[in-house]
Amino acid sequence: MTTLDYISVRKTFPNTVALEGLDLDVQEGELITLLGPSGCGKTTALRIAAGFEFADSGAVLVGGSDITRTPAHKRNMGMVFQSYSLFPNLTVAQNVEFGLRTRKLPSDQRKRRVHEMMELVQLTSMANRYAHQLSGGQQQRVALARALAIQPQVLLLDEPLSALDAKVRTTLRDEIRRIQTEVGITTLFVTHDQEEALAISDRICVMSQGRVEQLGTPTAVYRNPSTAFVARFVGSMNEFEGQVGGGAEVAVLGRHIPVPNARAYGNGTPVRVLVRPEDLSIAAGGMPGTVTSVTFQGATTLVGVRLDVIDNLVSVDVGQGAADQLTIGDRVGVEISGINAVCEPV
Amino acid sequence: MTDHHIHLPPASTALLDDDDNPTAPTAVAPQSVGRPSSRFSKIVPVLVLLACGFFFLAPLLTLARHSLQNVPAFLLGRETLFKKWALTPVTLAFKDPAFWPALSLSLKLAAGTVLLTLGLLIPTAVWTHLRVPKARSLIEFVTVLPYMIPPIAMVAGIIIVKPHARWFLNSDLALIPFYVVLALPFTYRSIDAGLRAIDLRTLVDASRSLGAGWGATLWKVLLPNMRAAIISAAFLTAAVVIGEFTIADTLLKETLPRFQATFVGREPQAGYALNLLALLVTTLLFVLLSVLTRKRDVSRRPYVPPADLTAPSTSTGAHS
Repeated sequence: MTTLDYISVRKTFPNTVALEGLDLDVQEGELITLLGPSGCGKTTALRIAAGFEFADSGAVLVGGSDITRTPAHKRNMGMVFQSYSLFPNLTVAQNVEFGLRTRKLPSDQRKRRVHEMMELVQLTSMANRYAHQLSGGQQQRVALARALAIQPQVLLLDEPLSALDAKVRTTLRDEIRRIQTEVGITTLFVTHDQEEALAISDRICVMSQGRVEQLGTPTAVYRNPSTAFVARFVGSMNEFEGQVGGGAEVAVLGRHIPVPNARAYGNGTPVRVLVRPEDLSIAAGGMPGTVTSVTFQGATTLVGVRLDVIDNLVSVDVGQGAADQLTIGDRVGVEISGINAVCEPV
Repeated sequence: MTDHHIHLPPASTALLDDDDNPTAPTAVAPQSVGRPSSRFSKIVPVLVLLACGFFFLAPLLTLARHSLQNVPAFLLGRETLFKKWALTPVTLAFKDPAFWPALSLSLKLAAGTVLLTLGLLIPTAVWTHLRVPKARSLIEFVTVLPYMIPPIAMVAGIIIVKPHARWFLNSDLALIPFYVVLALPFTYRSIDAGLRAIDLRTLVDASRSLGAGWGATLWKVLLPNMRAAIISAAFLTAAVVIGEFTIADTLLKETLPRFQATFVGREPQAGYALNLLALLVTTLLFVLLSVLTRKRDVSRRPYVPPADLTAPSTSTGAHS
């Protein structure tokens, strides 16, 4: 087990800046997710850790030793790719054995290790199959076993679930987390799927345009987004126009609501306030509006309401009992009840 | 057909113990739908096949008759059709003292050309695909040039440089570089298609992350997965070399085609028999090619779990 550190890593490609001085420390046994839209630099960061790309400046340390210029095959990184990466000419067992052969391990140790890995991903019965005889989920499990077989210092996962269908994605996501915790390996996981990031991570690093927007636990990133970008990217948001009304409060439609980052702007600054659907509630005496949609989502129901005052469509999370009584066209009141809002100047 | 699951044969479904569909399903081909078949639409393909078969086989049969049957054409009839066939003309070619050296030289040239072509082309094509994908179309254009420019143009070039490079052109193996160029249009296309068929970047990255350097990646990952492309490139190259006449004749090298040309003048019937044999051998080689490039689904070294580890274990090994 070891740590992975990025120190002011900068990387440019012709016409684009992929990473603008990335600083990140992944602790021993920790799973950090790099989350962001495509082109935010998350995959570049991962490929720099793997040694497939080299940083223009800055350093990458593994367990304190500098690997910035070490070629990929001399690093000890386990990697799982977005596209299926099993060697088509080898069986499942031979794929898992590949990295052990390049390390010239004796045959009996190789066999033992392959066996352990196949049991870890529960694919012992598939050992003699070829990649094209496996499903997508199975292929990614083999790829994970192959990456872990070499006892890497760090596990790098580059959107390993994005080629799979929804049900398999959830199962495999949980399995990756189980195995990662069981093995206790330091892991960097790249994804653009916020739900995946929230479910699997110890910490999430939200990235945009080559910079870190926020680094924190899933709860912190969701509950206390530090920027409007993070707020919009992680989870869904309602937007209201308002004015900073002294301290950490913003005046929205005659109501004063607490917004932690409003302190950063001067009194009277016009701002846009972002509020999560679960921080709005249907209540008599709230801002009047008309129900335009009722979407059942299992545990909660998402209700769309067009407000009278600002002609704005907002979505409200409503608990089971209350939602059953609502139908499209109903007149309701909407109250802003949460304190997890974030604002940005207009 | 929208769902592969329903059409999987029972045996395959039993083997799948995972939760999703296989990516390479053992699916059944969809049944043809559309126009009802008429008698006309059944006859036409048969007629076309017969016509093509006749077009290809008739010259071969007449060549065989001319070279292996000792009956003049004007005496051919129902009684004489199966008389006086013999393989002696072929053995006559084999007995010629110039035949074996010519065959041996052509085979050496073929082997040398195949090795040099693959040795130059595979790394170049891999490098282009990975590092300068934009240059692919340019390289593709350059490799077609030998096809567009007739070999006689190259011969004219050779004549110009001949006085300066006698030491090189005197060697029999001097033909190899010319043949590499001549075979380029076929070999590059084949290798390029082989590279397009695999997820090159991911396979290279995966191999390198598992500790294999560039050499090991090429040898253990890329070459085995380009087997079909490499074999067909090799056979196409060999076919070009074994049939090339113009350059060999200009440089006065006693290759098989040059032997055939002179031999057919001396012994017309045996010469044609030799040509027929060459055609048959080439056909057999291409049949062999299609057999060799077939994908295998069963490992030659199947995985057997270690005997002392048959009991379920939860150990995952310590990580450094």
